[in-house]
Amino acid sequence: MSQRPDPAPTPRATVLQPAPRRRAPDAPTPAPAKWLAVLPYLTLPLFLAVIAALVWLTRSADRDEQRMTLINDVLWMEQNLQFQLDRNASLLAQIGPELFAHDTQPASTEAKLRQLLRPESGLVRVIWLDAEGRRKGEMPPMSGSHLIGESVGAVPANSVFRLARAIGRRAYGPAYEVADGSHQFEVHVPIYSEDAFIGAAVGIYSLHELIAGELPWWFSERYRVSVLDADGRQIVAKSKVAPLSGDMKYMIPFDPPGHGLSLHITAYRGETRWVPVLLIASIVLLAGIIVWSVWQLRRQLVRRHSAEQALRRESLFRKAMEDSLLTGLRARDLDGRITYVNPAFCKMVGYSPEELIGRLPPMPYWDPDHLERTQEVHDMILSGAAPPEGVELRLRRKNGERLDALIFEAPLIDAAGCHTGWMGSLLDITEQKRARELGRQQEERLQATSRLVTMGEMASTLAHELNQPLAAIASYNTGCLNRLEQATIDRDELRDIHAKLGRQARRAGEIIRRVHDFVRRAEPKREALDFNTVIREAIGLIEADAHKRRMRIETDLAPRLPDIPADPVMIEQVIVNLVRNGMDAMHDNPPDRRTVRVATREEGGQLVVRVADSGRGIDADTARRLFEPFFTTKPEGMGMGLNICRSIAELHHGRLGFESNPDGGTIFILSFPVELS
Amino acid sequence: MNPACAHIIDDDEAIRDALQWLFKTRDVACATWPSAEEFLAAVQPDWRGCAVIDIRMAGMSGLECFDALRARSNLLPVVFITGHGDVPMAVAALKKGAFDFIEKPFNDSDLVDVVVRALDADAQRQVAAATRETVEARLALLTAREREVMEQILAGKYNKVIADHLNISMRTVEAHRSKVFDKMAVRSAVELAQLINLVGGR
Repeated sequence: MSQRPDPAPTPRATVLQPAPRRRAPDAPTPAPAKWLAVLPYLTLPLFLAVIAALVWLTRSADRDEQRMTLINDVLWMEQNLQFQLDRNASLLAQIGPELFAHDTQPASTEAKLRQLLRPESGLVRVIWLDAEGRRKGEMPPMSGSHLIGESVGAVPANSVFRLARAIGRRAYGPAYEVADGSHQFEVHVPIYSEDAFIGAAVGIYSLHELIAGELPWWFSERYRVSVLDADGRQIVAKSKVAPLSGDMKYMIPFDPPGHGLSLHITAYRGETRWVPVLLIASIVLLAGIIVWSVWQLRRQLVRRHSAEQALRRESLFRKAMEDSLLTGLRARDLDGRITYVNPAFCKMVGYSPEELIGRLPPMPYWDPDHLERTQEVHDMILSGAAPPEGVELRLRRKNGERLDALIFEAPLIDAAGCHTGWMGSLLDITEQKRARELGRQQEERLQATSRLVTMGEMASTLAHELNQPLAAIASYNTGCLNRLEQATIDRDELRDIHAKLGRQARRAGEIIRRVHDFVRRAEPKREALDFNTVIREAIGLIEADAHKRRMRIETDLAPRLPDIPADPVMIEQVIVNLVRNGMDAMHDNPPDRRTVRVATREEGGQLVVRVADSGRGIDADTARRLFEPFFTTKPEGMGMGLNICRSIAELHHGRLGFESNPDGGTIFILSFPVELS
Repeated sequence: MNPACAHIIDDDEAIRDALQWLFKTRDVACATWPSAEEFLAAVQPDWRGCAVIDIRMAGMSGLECFDALRARSNLLPVVFITGHGDVPMAVAALKKGAFDFIEKPFNDSDLVDVVVRALDADAQRQVAAATRETVEARLALLTAREREVMEQILAGKYNKVIADHLNISMRTVEAHRSKVFDKMAVRSAVELAQLINLVGGR
């Protein structure tokens, strides 16, 4: 779940998102989404508060209910105790007259007394007193010394007796402690016989017995019952075990017997009521899970958000990088359809992305003059055979300008590892090519110049060398003429001078012979030469130049030619020279008439090379002087080219001629004898 | 003092010989030198005539030879013989005071004509130089006062004006004037002016 997004998305991932260009990349999150994001944090505490309130309310209702039960139980108990006390008092009042009727009690009375003194009644003793308060009898009999009270004889208490006699109703005495530490109190019931007060029946209650005997088992299991005296001291407790719950208790005055006694009832910890507990526990548990999951969700959101941020940063970074690139980038799918172009590419070819994306070849930026080659390169790339060192291609901008591009291709692999297309980078090398071409021309010019300088130097030396004897000859000659003008002629003198004249003439001839020897030493080296190959190489040399000048060179070479012993460099120079001449002649031609045709044939024991142009042609005057040295029709020409060509042809025992082209222009014809040996 | 002659300086023997023959047929005296070094070693300030120098020679070139001559204040007229490539150099030399240049191969009559003119020019130069020497010697005879008076005369002033200017009497001016004419061996102010112009004015 917390998988990080790939920090470097594959090119494919970038490529298939051309849309970000149109959408503001850092658009703010819309308001509803913000609300949605905040909502869980608002509702969660609310939810928890509600759950807590519910639990609290449930607990409090439960407690109230418990308390109500407690109060009910207490009231019931109190009533029960009162009921018991009242019944005992009634029984005492009933049995009273019989006690006074006989001195010794008959068995029936005794049985009734015993019935009264059952342990659960709370009564431990019954005493009956006469009208003066004197003790008439008791049941069971009392051993004299175990009473603790006002005095030994003071049980039953006279004050209570007097109160009962005075009001004519039963009266309860205060509780007092007896010898074994337990507490007792007594009830005095006045007995009347025919409206005459005859005495009182006194019931002595043991508080402990009363409480213990009277309460049912279930009550004592739930509650701890204790009796407190007026000073708040506990005098009787049903159980010695301290109650655990402090707040679940209830106190009511214990009346009768009164005299400040109170009943204290405290609930023991009630048995756990599992259903609500489970309910609450499960609610709390579920709430916890919700909180946890919301927390996890939030962490997830934060992580996702930061991942998105990182992704957006990354993509912005990549876009900035891409936009700042000078290299044109272009992605294509497997069918060759453009899926992506970067700004540099658009700038390079002059088309907008909308015009390019989705296009199938042929592309608008392909150069119509090189369609076949471009298609070839395209097919090669799609077949995966693109050379790693790149392909050079001539393209055309939207405005018609040509550009030379160096193209590198790499396969596009998507996130799943599938090959989905090709990514190409284009470098504009027009300028470099132009610079290279200029450099080459510069080099050529330099070489030509240095050749010229050398040639000039040679010519100058030659001229000086020849000048010397010629000047001497001229001087001798003038001198002789001067002598002939004069009257006297010294024949010996003239003979001497003519001998000198002859010497100088021979000297001049010697110089010329030396030059000729020198030229002779530069005889061509001869090797068996395939003219077709030489012609192809020569055209290869000049093709770039032709292309630049928008000229075409066509060849029509005979399939089989005999090899001719010749110097390849010289023959190549002749061909280059003639082709260049042809192109110069077509300088002003319209584009469809700018072709130089080079043809080879074997005709009648001659190997014939024809170089035909469709230029201006050669007029009669020019034709007469064409092979004169230093004759040229070109402003920068030397007037040596054709001359050299003819010399080379003649060195190889061949001929250079020309005729006019029936289609207009000129055909230069080189012919060499085929030596059958 | 050597008679005036054309000094041919060329490293090519045939040329020297041919030119010597040519000059001989025109009655022009000449001497030949196989190199600039040899000529410079021999040349004297009082030599008359002219020098015919080939520009392109083994060793010292013709132009260097010309510069060396001028460095010694030798004002011998110099005619250059030049090949096709040396023409700009020859023209530059001409601007520095060379007499002329003849391009090879030359029309030989032209060459002799140029040399004859150069010899004449040198002769004239010699005459002028001799005159200047005389004039300067005569000027040296003048006293300071006479020189002052002469300057006033050359300025075309009358005796009266000169007398006022120099605060001297007319008679004294006339006496000085006749002394100046006497010492300078002239008879008029016009002659005096011509004489002074010959030595380059004052």
